[in-house]
Amino acid sequence: MDTTLLSIALAASMILMLAFGVWVSLTLVGIGILGLLLSGNEQVGLLFATSSWGASTGWSLTALPMFIWMGEVLFRTRLSEDLFKGLSPWMSGLPGKLLHVNILSCGIFAAVSGSSAATAATIGRMTLPELKAQGYSDRMAVGTLAGSGTLGLLIPPSIILIVYGVAAEVSIGRLFIAGALPGLMLVTMFMGYTMVWAVLNKDEMPKHKNEHISFSAKIKALRMLLPIVGLIVFVLGSIYAGFTTPTEAAALGVFGALLLAAITGSLNAHSFKESLLGAVKSSCMIGLILVGAHFLTLSMGFLGIPRELAEWIGSMSLSPFELLVCLTALFVILGCFLDGISVVVLTVAVVMPMVQQAGIDLLWFGIFIVLVVEMAQITPPVGFNLFVIQALTGKDILYVARAALPFFLLIMAALLLIGWFPEIVTYLPQTMSRG
Amino acid sequence: MSNLRDTFYLASGYAAGFCIALIMVVILMQIVGRLFGFIIPSAEDVSGYALAASTFFGLAYTFHEGGHIRVTLVIQKWPARARFVQELAVLILGLGLASFMTFYSWHMVWESYVFEEVSHGYIPIPLWIPQIPVGLGTLALTIAILDDLIAVLRKRVPSYQQHENDINLEQI
Repeated sequence: MDTTLLSIALAASMILMLAFGVWVSLTLVGIGILGLLLSGNEQVGLLFATSSWGASTGWSLTALPMFIWMGEVLFRTRLSEDLFKGLSPWMSGLPGKLLHVNILSCGIFAAVSGSSAATAATIGRMTLPELKAQGYSDRMAVGTLAGSGTLGLLIPPSIILIVYGVAAEVSIGRLFIAGALPGLMLVTMFMGYTMVWAVLNKDEMPKHKNEHISFSAKIKALRMLLPIVGLIVFVLGSIYAGFTTPTEAAALGVFGALLLAAITGSLNAHSFKESLLGAVKSSCMIGLILVGAHFLTLSMGFLGIPRELAEWIGSMSLSPFELLVCLTALFVILGCFLDGISVVVLTVAVVMPMVQQAGIDLLWFGIFIVLVVEMAQITPPVGFNLFVIQALTGKDILYVARAALPFFLLIMAALLLIGWFPEIVTYLPQTMSRG
Repeated sequence: MSNLRDTFYLASGYAAGFCIALIMVVILMQIVGRLFGFIIPSAEDVSGYALAASTFFGLAYTFHEGGHIRVTLVIQKWPARARFVQELAVLILGLGLASFMTFYSWHMVWESYVFEEVSHGYIPIPLWIPQIPVGLGTLALTIAILDDLIAVLRKRVPSYQQHENDINLEQI
């Protein structure tokens, strides 16, 4: 059987299995077995065992459960309340006022949590009722939350960047640092849009007048942000300075988060156990997907599919820009049905050779792919952020998606910006002490 | 009977959780060691093995809690009769794949034991020891899938479906 027919057959059976409700990780293992059988390999079981052992013991992968656990610990603290109280006095002067608290607290929480759904849920629980009570436009409150919730993917530490780094063999420390500037850029863009919107739509903002907040009260409020900002500076700073590897920074981060929870009194035997079991659930799910993806990559390598595909794309002599446009379309379509991590692990094996052949920097491509997945998070029918906010507000998913649309377009603009100015991504990693 | 079940799944979860906590302790010890100039031998190996152990130990718990993701978009609107056939087919396929994984994981443990394979780190650790959790974990997953297959055959709702509607917060 020639490779083209084989690839189509494998892709079709994978879509069939996924649509039929087979677990993503088991689908990957199943298609891997099928591929090896079709290539006439007789060592299927042995290859599976060695590849899964190799895939599950990687040193850089140990950062994954650590960062997930850190998020779970902080999720159970009063952190979101502190963020709200600490930030709101500062935002009252800007057009858009408390809407900015939504964006900034998401940005800050994203810097201690690796996931966008956790970010949107933790912050939204606190801010949405408050914004509603003060008379802000529902649509804008939901939209800012949906949009800035996706920052969890990009602003380090990020679970999806760890997964990408392991799959594409790119340094996770450098990926983290590369995500920092684009993340800040997105925060700025979101805030800029909110200000313009607030000036144009004065009637959808609360009517009451500005009460003046004294400077000393503002400083006092800022103190509430100290613990979390300290944790962020500590974790990311130590990676950037080369003092620790991302894995070590993650372990220190968990320790710091536990300490913070203990000081604020939200740590007890029950919440400790709950946070640990929550971490088990997520890291186990991701771990098995990675095991399956590793095995599938091996199997496809035997069949030579990625190489042939890269040659085929190469023969069409697309410019890197055209290639990226095609890939963006592919990822957004996949992201409509699959979660971000599955999209990344499924495509990395096939896409990497052609990306490399087109001369695209793999570090830059990692940030690119995360931005695209961020867009997919807020597109229906399957966008995890939409689900979370739907559950928080009780509004239907299409309403949330419409409210998030401007932010979808802003992320797309950010994509074009990092395309025109790749230095936004590559500048900080180049100045790092060591990778 | 249901008590024994709960104990089984919780044990799977706590074993995995213990390994995650162990990773943190080992890495912290390594950092402290570097500051004070002593070396924790094979710390990277040990945390890698603890990672594998936590991933595989937790499989059954995660399965039971509906943590392993799947696409429900297509199947969720199907009539009950079609859903019954679909869940049955998916569980039988899952049972087959999990048994395959279990068999070859134990095969790997046995081979590492026979050929006396050891890790390349500071301390040569016999590889079959850290590989045992892989075998135990995949076996537990097989049992968990079988448990739900029996539940579906008895016309009960499988455990993972009861949790599928809650949102797993850390899920990306």
